[in-house]
Amino acid sequence: MKDLDTLSFTLNGEDIRMDASPETPLVRVLRDGLEQTGTKLGCAIGRCGACTVLVDGKALNACLVMLWQVEGRSVLTIEGLRDDPAYRPLIDALDAANAFQCGYCAPGVTLALAGLLKANPDPAEDEIVTALEGHICRCTGYHSILRGARRAALDMKGPR
Amino acid sequence: MKVLRPGTLGEARALIARPGHVAVGGGTVLQLGWASGATPPEALVDLSRLGLGDIAASADGGLTIGAAATLADIENDPQLSDTAPLLARAVRDIGAPGIRRLATLGGQIGWGAGCLLPALLALDARVFAAGSTDPVDMPLADWLAAPDGLVLSVTVPPQAPDATWTWRKIGLRAAFTPSVIAVAGLRSEASAALGAGGGPVPPRRLPVSEAAVAEGPEALRLALEAEIEAPDCIHRTGRYRARVAAAALTRGLFGTPRAPAAETSLKVPAAEPPPEGLRSLEGGPGGPEWHPRPDGRAKITGQAGYLTDARAPDMLVGRILRAGRPHARILSLDTSRAETLPGVAAVVTHADVPGLNAFGIMWQDQPALCHDVIRYEGDPVAAVAAVDEATAETALQAIEVVYEDLPVIASPAEALAEDATRLHQGGNLAAGFDLERGDVEAGFGAAAHIVEATYVTPRQMHVFLETEGGWCAPGDDGTLTVAVGGQHGGRDREQLARILDMPEERLHVITSPTGGGFGGKDELTVQPALALLALKAGRPVRLHLSRAESVLAGVKRNPMTIRMKTGCDADGRLLAQEVELVADCGAYASLSPAVAETALEHALGPYLAPALKTSGRLAYTNNGVGGAFRGFGANQMTFAIECQLDRLAALTGLDPVEIRRRNLRRPGMPGLMGHKVAGSERLAEMLAAAAASPLWSARAGPDGDPEGTGMALNFQGNGLGSLPQDDGEGELRLAADGAIEIASGLDEMGQGLATALQAVGAARLGCARSDIRPVYGDTQAAPDSGSTSASRGTFAAWSIARGAAPGFAEKVLALAADLTGVEATSLRLVPGGVAVAGTNSDAPIARFADLARHAGTALPRQKTAFAFPKTDYTDGNARFIHCYGATLARVAVDPVTGEVRLRALEMHTAAGPVIDLAAYLGQIEGGLIQGLGLTLTEDTLFREGRVLTTNLDAYMVPSIRDVAPSLRVTALEDLDADDPWGPRGVGELGIGAVTPAIANAVAAAIGGWPVAAPFSPEAILELATGSAAA
Repeated sequence: MKDLDTLSFTLNGEDIRMDASPETPLVRVLRDGLEQTGTKLGCAIGRCGACTVLVDGKALNACLVMLWQVEGRSVLTIEGLRDDPAYRPLIDALDAANAFQCGYCAPGVTLALAGLLKANPDPAEDEIVTALEGHICRCTGYHSILRGARRAALDMKGPR
Repeated sequence: MKVLRPGTLGEARALIARPGHVAVGGGTVLQLGWASGATPPEALVDLSRLGLGDIAASADGGLTIGAAATLADIENDPQLSDTAPLLARAVRDIGAPGIRRLATLGGQIGWGAGCLLPALLALDARVFAAGSTDPVDMPLADWLAAPDGLVLSVTVPPQAPDATWTWRKIGLRAAFTPSVIAVAGLRSEASAALGAGGGPVPPRRLPVSEAAVAEGPEALRLALEAEIEAPDCIHRTGRYRARVAAAALTRGLFGTPRAPAAETSLKVPAAEPPPEGLRSLEGGPGGPEWHPRPDGRAKITGQAGYLTDARAPDMLVGRILRAGRPHARILSLDTSRAETLPGVAAVVTHADVPGLNAFGIMWQDQPALCHDVIRYEGDPVAAVAAVDEATAETALQAIEVVYEDLPVIASPAEALAEDATRLHQGGNLAAGFDLERGDVEAGFGAAAHIVEATYVTPRQMHVFLETEGGWCAPGDDGTLTVAVGGQHGGRDREQLARILDMPEERLHVITSPTGGGFGGKDELTVQPALALLALKAGRPVRLHLSRAESVLAGVKRNPMTIRMKTGCDADGRLLAQEVELVADCGAYASLSPAVAETALEHALGPYLAPALKTSGRLAYTNNGVGGAFRGFGANQMTFAIECQLDRLAALTGLDPVEIRRRNLRRPGMPGLMGHKVAGSERLAEMLAAAAASPLWSARAGPDGDPEGTGMALNFQGNGLGSLPQDDGEGELRLAADGAIEIASGLDEMGQGLATALQAVGAARLGCARSDIRPVYGDTQAAPDSGSTSASRGTFAAWSIARGAAPGFAEKVLALAADLTGVEATSLRLVPGGVAVAGTNSDAPIARFADLARHAGTALPRQKTAFAFPKTDYTDGNARFIHCYGATLARVAVDPVTGEVRLRALEMHTAAGPVIDLAAYLGQIEGGLIQGLGLTLTEDTLFREGRVLTTNLDAYMVPSIRDVAPSLRVTALEDLDADDPWGPRGVGELGIGAVTPAIANAVAAAIGGWPVAAPFSPEAILELATGSAAA
């Protein structure tokens, strides 16, 4: 048992060690501490999905994940996803579909889809919709995102 | 705060017993509490290392679920759907996937209010806990009644395979919703088990009702209504909770005989062919017209560089002190303690405002920082800049303000009462409008049918995903850069110059990209406070409103109450129309007077009547601030008129298409104010497209819920109107790297400005879209093109390209001639550069980059100016050019809950040539769904001038499950042969007629029209049962 004030986790493959209050929301650590602002902040109470990141491959709201909860874990943000060739078809499909408009929800939605497709390369339509239930997009009405997500699922299923 | 991670149960219990120590699973509930102001504990005791996360088969063939198992663990357990299908179904309704991956079973039980509890109670779950004295093993119901110790696991017995079971969570929207109430029930020959709870309803078993199950469905329903004790909340009454819970359980356990189809008097229009030229817009790649937007990839990959993303080593963090009370006088304001805090670089108050301490697009009645009176909760009193967020927060708390509260004006009715407290010197009537034409009384006297109803529309919130914010930095040369998401940099600069008493030339305003606007960033937001902070600190400052602060501070859609009385003759021809509009302005004017006037411009919709009388009253209140929002009043009025038409159709025996056809205005007629309007009217065609819709003959779904199809027409003006200045400039120029820049002071807020600029530029010049680099949203980089509002961006972009392209092309061709020796008259622009005209080859003989190099510093550029086309009417404001639409909705009404579910939305549009397919489709689809939110779920609730829906857990934006599964958009693109005004803007068209289309569809389904948006399920149930009884 110990008090945690020096915390370590992996961010996009890189070891991070930092002294911080353990209850600091991960999104604050990313945007303000590490100045990686690809992760967006929309509501800070887990109700919009803009800050979604993958923790050990699972999509979580970085505004609800406190720093102590990622101790020893691996965090993937959009800064890491965009450099990973495995996710290239996902980005390409969303881009080609004009999935987003203002784009502020885009990194979070993209991470959620990445988490889904990683665990389930051949999702049913309803599974795609479920994966996006926690995401608010205020611009599109979601249909364009679904068009891109379906395309991404097809493209990522390809030869592997 | 400390986080303690005990490795044994003994350690954990000892720690939890300490004062200020709280057990934590996923922490989701704790954090919601902190966000609502609860004090965080001294220490969290993490229970995740106690080995309590397992899910295993129990001795009785059920499952034992460890308290630390997450809801996602439970959801994904392979045994669950066989062992306890009810629980498997229920767990999917809790939160959203991201929440379920954090939230634990222990949290559901430990907080005593989890949505899952009704299911666990009905399943006879038992709790195993480390009790305060002894180990505890007791029914969940008993444990909830008297919680004892730390929950270790829950055992769920196997669900009886022969039992009929049901689960229903009733919420505020279709998914990821707070609970209104959730119910679970099992019924078999021998026994019944029922549970209800969630939201404000404490979860419990329902023994009296369980005994009534044997007596049949009606006895059960009555027993449940009596037994379920449910309080009211801000969204729903307790009565509704008990009623729908009872109906849901009864229906779930007994099924319901299919309700007889409602007797609706609405006829279905006869099928007819769609108008010639109407094309269906298909979304997605494929086809030459589909272009990925130039900023799409950067947005997806987190590289778009929103202005709230800026970070720099010497950048301070700004925060604003909001009054937090709706109406008060400031007795004293003391910032001295905050100023001396280490790490605080600047504190500003009204005393720091060098110029006019007021702003407002129409008139300046809103203080940059309050000096005497507070008029709404979000009014800013002071601001601080500090080295980090935490220091800034501490500094805010160190500012001492003494207020004297004043009487709160909580509604327009209170505001307009004779003895009301005055919120502004001129009184509480912000604006009034009256119009009378023809003899209304005679019209009603001659009418065969008169319908009168009062329609109410909500205080919709924009909920741009990126809240207001950005950064500001003083330059060494006395300049100031203000970079805050906005909708008109030029006007923001003008307003800031007035406040800061600084020449406009010294202000550099950046307004793009911004994460959504919808009208909510048209007015100044955080710019005044931010600029004052940066000036005082002499350093860059960034500031980004939290959502909660954005809710408090930002403008909202003006709530409207519209009483409308409409009379027609026996043939359905309108004879008289009387409209009385009362609108809530909120505390300051912003654009609200123009919104109210625009609403009245639509008082008769696109129809004709010999007699019309309208009045509008816009009243100041302490209810936040109203202002611009997509639709700008038109959609509210359209709601009323389009429902009136369907009511009259029902009375006259006409179908919705026919009654509209008989009353439709015709091309070439003057507008409502008698003013001249532009041609290319396509109302008859939109009506024909609606008549041709397959939705009229859609088949009802398998669940037997009442369904209906409804329609509504709308038109939306483009541009600011006849009174405001409405012009702008733009430029085409060749950049040193060979890109053709099309520069416009408009803003990219998602709508697709960049793509539109590329499209119009490429179309005019003959080059490729990729040759063009759009430059926008920056007062230094682009000329002022006016505001990005009022659906005016399309015309502005098109005008810039049209105006600048000939001159620019001429200069480029001259440059090419100089470089290549080919005569300019033999050259033309092609993708990539300049080619020889008259040949079949598009291969450039000089690339744009070659030309730029050749030009050196004498790069070709061509500026242009445009004036938005206006009508000559000046007694009031009126629009000249318009776009047109017809919206159809197919809905199902849930007979249990009264919820309206969209089966399909369809919109036909006529707005001239589509300049970019994806952007056009995106605007219509997005507008439709934003309108769906207004219609069914969205309202910023206030009580006594205080916001009740403080964040997105209470304000319900449509989720992906709420949108219509089928969404179809068509376009009719032709313009009249002599129409010189080009493509119309469709930013607001999509939202324009959704509300009445849904209302009319509801009426077709259940026989009555909902009149208050968002349509409360409670009111829908009343309507449905009312009509059944009639």
